[in-house]
Amino acid sequence: MTALSAHPGRSALHRFIGGYGQEIVVLLSIVALFVVVGIINPRFLSDTNINSIFAGNAYIAIAAIGMSMVIIAGHIDVSVGALIGVIATIAGTLAVNGYPVWVAWVVPILFAMAVNAGVGALVAYTRIPSIVVTLGMLSILKGGLISITAGEWISDLPTEFMIAQMRPFGIPSAVYFMVLLTAVAALFMRYTDFGRSIYAVGGNMEAARAAGINPERTVVGVFILHGLFAGIAGILFATQLQVIQSTVPPNLELTVITASVIGGVSILGGTGTVIGSTLAAILFACIGSALIFLNVSAYWLRAVLGLLILATVLADMARRRRVT
Amino acid sequence: MTASRLLRHETILGVLTVIALIVLASLSDKFFTAENLLNQGRLMSEVGLVALAMTFVIVTGGIDLSVGSILGLTAILLGVFWKNLGLPLPAAMVLALACGTFAGWVNGLIITRFRVPPLIATLATLALYRGLAEGISEARSVRGYPEWFFFFGQGEVLGVPFQLWVLGLATIVAAVILGLTPFGRATYAIGANETAARFSGIRVDAVKLWIYTGAGFCSALAAVIFVSRVTTTRSDMGTGLELDVITGVVLGGTSIFGGRGTIIGTVLGLILIQALKNGLALSGVKGDGTIVVIGLVLIGAILAGALFDRNRGG
Amino acid sequence: MGARAMQGERAGDATAEDRAALPIELRAVSKSCAGIKVGNTVSFDMRPGEVHALMGENGAGKSTLIKIMAGLHQPDEGQILINGEPVRFSSPRDAHAAGIATVHQELLLFPELTVAENIYLGQTPKTPLGAIDWPAMRRGARALLQSLDSGDLDIDQKVTTLSVGNRQRIEIARALAQDARVLIMDEPTAALAEHDVQRLMSIVRTLCQRGVAIVYVSHRMPEIFALADRVTVLRDGQHVATRPVCDVDEPTLVSMMVGRSIDRLYPAKQGQDGETVLELRNVSQRSVVRDISFSLRRGEILGLAGLVGSGRTETALTIFGITPATAGDILINGRPVKIGSPEAARDLGIAYVPEDRGHQGLIRAQSIAENIALANLKRLTRGVIVDMTRVMAEAKQAIARFGIRARGPDQLVRQLSGGNQQKVVLGKWLATNPRILIMDEPTRGIDVGAKAEIHLLMRKLAGEGMAILMISSELPEVLGMSDRVLVMNGGRIVGEFDKVEASAEAVGTVMTRSYSKDDAA
Repeated sequence: MTALSAHPGRSALHRFIGGYGQEIVVLLSIVALFVVVGIINPRFLSDTNINSIFAGNAYIAIAAIGMSMVIIAGHIDVSVGALIGVIATIAGTLAVNGYPVWVAWVVPILFAMAVNAGVGALVAYTRIPSIVVTLGMLSILKGGLISITAGEWISDLPTEFMIAQMRPFGIPSAVYFMVLLTAVAALFMRYTDFGRSIYAVGGNMEAARAAGINPERTVVGVFILHGLFAGIAGILFATQLQVIQSTVPPNLELTVITASVIGGVSILGGTGTVIGSTLAAILFACIGSALIFLNVSAYWLRAVLGLLILATVLADMARRRRVT
Repeated sequence: MTASRLLRHETILGVLTVIALIVLASLSDKFFTAENLLNQGRLMSEVGLVALAMTFVIVTGGIDLSVGSILGLTAILLGVFWKNLGLPLPAAMVLALACGTFAGWVNGLIITRFRVPPLIATLATLALYRGLAEGISEARSVRGYPEWFFFFGQGEVLGVPFQLWVLGLATIVAAVILGLTPFGRATYAIGANETAARFSGIRVDAVKLWIYTGAGFCSALAAVIFVSRVTTTRSDMGTGLELDVITGVVLGGTSIFGGRGTIIGTVLGLILIQALKNGLALSGVKGDGTIVVIGLVLIGAILAGALFDRNRGG
Repeated sequence: MGARAMQGERAGDATAEDRAALPIELRAVSKSCAGIKVGNTVSFDMRPGEVHALMGENGAGKSTLIKIMAGLHQPDEGQILINGEPVRFSSPRDAHAAGIATVHQELLLFPELTVAENIYLGQTPKTPLGAIDWPAMRRGARALLQSLDSGDLDIDQKVTTLSVGNRQRIEIARALAQDARVLIMDEPTAALAEHDVQRLMSIVRTLCQRGVAIVYVSHRMPEIFALADRVTVLRDGQHVATRPVCDVDEPTLVSMMVGRSIDRLYPAKQGQDGETVLELRNVSQRSVVRDISFSLRRGEILGLAGLVGSGRTETALTIFGITPATAGDILINGRPVKIGSPEAARDLGIAYVPEDRGHQGLIRAQSIAENIALANLKRLTRGVIVDMTRVMAEAKQAIARFGIRARGPDQLVRQLSGGNQQKVVLGKWLATNPRILIMDEPTRGIDVGAKAEIHLLMRKLAGEGMAILMISSELPEVLGMSDRVLVMNGGRIVGEFDKVEASAEAVGTVMTRSYSKDDAA
């Protein structure tokens, strides 16, 4: 106690390190990974590889922003992977059927927000645990997608639809989206009442109510925002390849949740930042790519992911136990 | 009588199942044949075995999302032990079962010792176990099992599929443990009020550890039967199994908040789902369309349960 | 209504103009909670800058009164006036708007947010663009804490890591940020260490100088005499009196609170005490139970008195194995034993009837029979199967023996009244055939008739040779039931009285004294 109170006005740097500990750890891990793998295999640092790491995984980072908000509010969503698959398919179908490009972009995003508004309302007002609602939603979206499309690929997509493949100033547009959305979300979470109320609801729902926040409305709002980010992620996912596979990308929800958790979002709610989840999504992409360049089978990627989540969760629990 | 209160949901569900069977039988004359029904029973067995264990897990107020991954991992290990390490198949089976059980025990340990919420703990091991299965197998499948091994998944005893006997026996054992033994009483007590259970001298952590270990064992057993039925081993086996299992258990009247549920209910829930799947398939709905129905049924069942609880002022 | 307005005149000593300046006034309010009338036509007012102590035993109606002022309850009858104007609070927000803030006993903070944010949440300063103005918020938080003499608190610290005393200062700062004119402090020192208590008292004085009126709820006499200007005493939901503190002394206050000191008849002792069955030698549990030594004999009822947070319940939890002892020895029948879990305690013949019936004592969603069987599963099992016939038989026997008013052993516990629920807990534990029975607040929230039944039962059990350790916050109960009284304060035993010596004044004084760490030994 006394050690802490000895410096009441901590320096800005100290404050920064204290507030962003996990984010700094993840960032340093990325740097270390680049250095080590780059020394072993310099091709890892080639333009093509770095581009593919960032551009190819930007959609995961963007989905993880919304997921982080959901987890900070004390909930979880395991249906996001299926939702992204559905969005990609809707977008592709609209695009090949001659609808204007902006319709093909915007309608799926609105659809995602509507679906998540429903999920959020169920979670907030009926008090059914979010894991159950989203498990159900996962199977509805997944089953619906496969049974309607019969797994047929969508090809011959119009070029102007392929937003993820555009490269303003030589940098893939997906990277712009990732950076921009992370920055906007970070500012939103820090500088708006709604952003702070997400933390408050996840941290102590009854205290939030006593402070004049409506926890139910906050939860519905968070899920709608999550739908917005998942929608944008879905559009980027749809447009990064020449075809859309009309399936649910395997384990996408897990990758997204893991990015949030490793980025410092406590699974018990109330704490974390969206910058951390974006960094963690990049870290995964780097690990996946590094495994290939180190000649380790990519099949171990998921085991590494699982271990990382477990280690992070255990560390989080240990930290909480130490504090209380 | 206590039982009558608990069985109310089961009675409704039983009636519902009978109605569904009658409707489905009238829609397709292929539905109500002995051959079709036994075949459906065969398909239900793996989910059924895991659902029995999951009933205990959910009654304590927990959840286990890793059952599908344990199934996949056990299947892979079975193949690896037999083909790559050259163990005799019976030894490989026993060893694989032990590994699956150990995976369940690890879940229990993370949950009881480190106080990680079950949802998170098993979400992490879902990724870990599936990842191990993928890493160990490197996407190669194992085939060429000897003929006698297919008995577990394809054989019949007295005209009834072997795994239906296993499921039947396991159902009786589970029903006795949950309904009649001190262990079962402790399971309900933990789910209804963990603090009061501990204050009454129940060994809460030990009971939970047993239950998650049991879920690992049941998943491993289902893996062996699964491999025997489909004659091959792949690392993606059992993907999404947790959803089918949880749906069955919850539809069977087990409260997702813990403290309430029966084995009979779970079995009825499983039968209803399997009948719906089969009936829909027979009347022309494609395989994946039935997943939509399962999802709707899951949310609907819990929503109904939540509204029912609220009306009772629980 | 007209008659009630007349009653307002009774408050007497303030003129009409004075009254217009009163930050809050309650006129003859009453409120019924679950059929029991709490806060029966109580009148209460606050003057700017005064500390008004609110005293009374548990269940006297203090918390109801506080909740009415904080807008959590709406009074059934009577009026609330702010600056002389009648108002209605339909939610805590209305009370906030009227300048009334509360520092809760269980502090309502956000553990993962910083100190500055916790102070301002819900009313954050904004930049012209509508974004949260963090620099302004941090400046404001620092200034507020400085004005509370707590400038040493790090405003960027997450609240999780702070001590109770510091968290409380944050709550007070939050009330000031809301511009509160009335601050309700509900037992603010119950969980504080001694140096934090001193600090809190100086903060309270600072607040008064700024004109904030403080409702100060506490049991601790020294604080009342050091801080308060006036004191209001409640008893059984009735307003006993409001007096200037300089007009009363400690014994007067205690007797006002206790009132009917021994006006109810407690059952007389039966038989003689036997040999010692439980002995504690220098038992400690971290820092909450410190160096406790006592012995308990067959047939004896030993009362454990003390304020909330004094370590009574914690001592019981240590004996019962929920929080095993970290030092010292526990002896049962003269043999040292190790109690590491409740099942170990139960197997040694210890039973614990916990203070929080709904949370710790019962599974309310289950039946009487299931609850009674829970601690006795081993004994009620034949082979591997629980013998339902015997479970039912035991439940019926308990229902008959304790006079539990229920339709039958299948009735759900949550449908029973408080007294009957308590009898189920007792039934569960007596079915284990214990030799030592610990009862924590045995009659809390129970109506008078059931109370007497439980007291009679305790006496009967003691007469049959049971050793009973009773924890109670109700002084008359402690004095009436106990053969011997131990008083705890700050985790230690600070006094022992036998039946003859134990008077309300003597025990009350030791209980409420503030001890510094050294002379508590």
